[in-house]
Amino acid sequence: MNGYIESGYIVTLGALGVYAASLVGRERSARRRLPAPPARGTAPAEAPEDAPAGDEGSPAPPPGSSGTGA
Amino acid sequence: MSLTSPPFSPAGTAGPARAAEAPAPPRGASPGRRRTRRPRTRADSALTAVGLVGIAGVVATVWLGLWVTPPDEFMGNLVRLLYIHPPLAWVMFLAYGVSFLASLLYLWPRTRSARFDRLAGASAEVGVVFTGLTLVTGSLWGRPTWGQWWTWDPLLTTTALLFVLYLGYLALRRVPGEPEARAKRSAIAALVAFIDVPIVYFSVLWWKSLHQAPSIDLTTRKTYVHGSMAWTLLLGFLSFTVVFAWLVAHRYRLAVLEDREESEGLALALAERRAEAPEAP
Repeated sequence: MNGYIESGYIVTLGALGVYAASLVGRERSARRRLPAPPARGTAPAEAPEDAPAGDEGSPAPPPGSSGTGA
Repeated sequence: MSLTSPPFSPAGTAGPARAAEAPAPPRGASPGRRRTRRPRTRADSALTAVGLVGIAGVVATVWLGLWVTPPDEFMGNLVRLLYIHPPLAWVMFLAYGVSFLASLLYLWPRTRSARFDRLAGASAEVGVVFTGLTLVTGSLWGRPTWGQWWTWDPLLTTTALLFVLYLGYLALRRVPGEPEARAKRSAIAALVAFIDVPIVYFSVLWWKSLHQAPSIDLTTRKTYVHGSMAWTLLLGFLSFTVVFAWLVAHRYRLAVLEDREESEGLALALAERRAEAPEAP
């Protein structure tokens, strides 16, 4: 084989790995910065309209702030 | 700190009503800092499983592509780059397709939801990563095959244009503004940028191109690879699709957290301003 093939695989796997790790790291640090959701069994003050699975009980954003973070 | 103190309320202020109901951090923890571990949900487990399947698939593709499949009659060992290059390009199309559909659903008044806006942004961002990798692996294949790293071929040029268009789309999403207006203009930009996607795909058929025709022609359903090469290519397509799903899911979750952070930061700023204001007699 020649260097082009190995380079292609290394660049692809390396870039995807770095991107995946950065997403997981950013997600974890964002969770740390945010306050904890209410404990199980306690009703949240407002149910979040569009929180994904795993964010149950997280405080809902104020009206008009359904944002565009991505 | 009292057990009823809201984590995000500045001292001496009531803070937003919903923050007051959030549990206090454990003793010794600074206000606003989370110390307890979030309980693992089914969604977390499912996402981990998807990630592991994606990694296993990619590892198998690399193993088959580099060590098991035979060299090509014409391309020799360079064919091994094609076990990752077309799958990367496929995911690029898929990502922009998802972004297009999500943007369409956001713009449609009956289905308008921040979910679709986030999904469009998440998918486009992952798509940009895959477009970059498609261009890089294509260039690495082109250098020994065509004798040059880059040529202004219709397919290459339209793909580079696609990369720039979606980079612009991601930049537009970061322009400050009222959230709904920001989401709407992003959705319109995604629809406009998507016009280039079919042009990229059909460019090798419409114009004279250095680039070879697709190995799997979606219009005629013909395949031009066979045997272990075909299976490895198919595995590459499936594996990178799973990896795409995992990345989009994580990017979406991050977007939810970013939105929460933004809204709670706003609530905190409002609470601080209210606290600073002199009380009415």
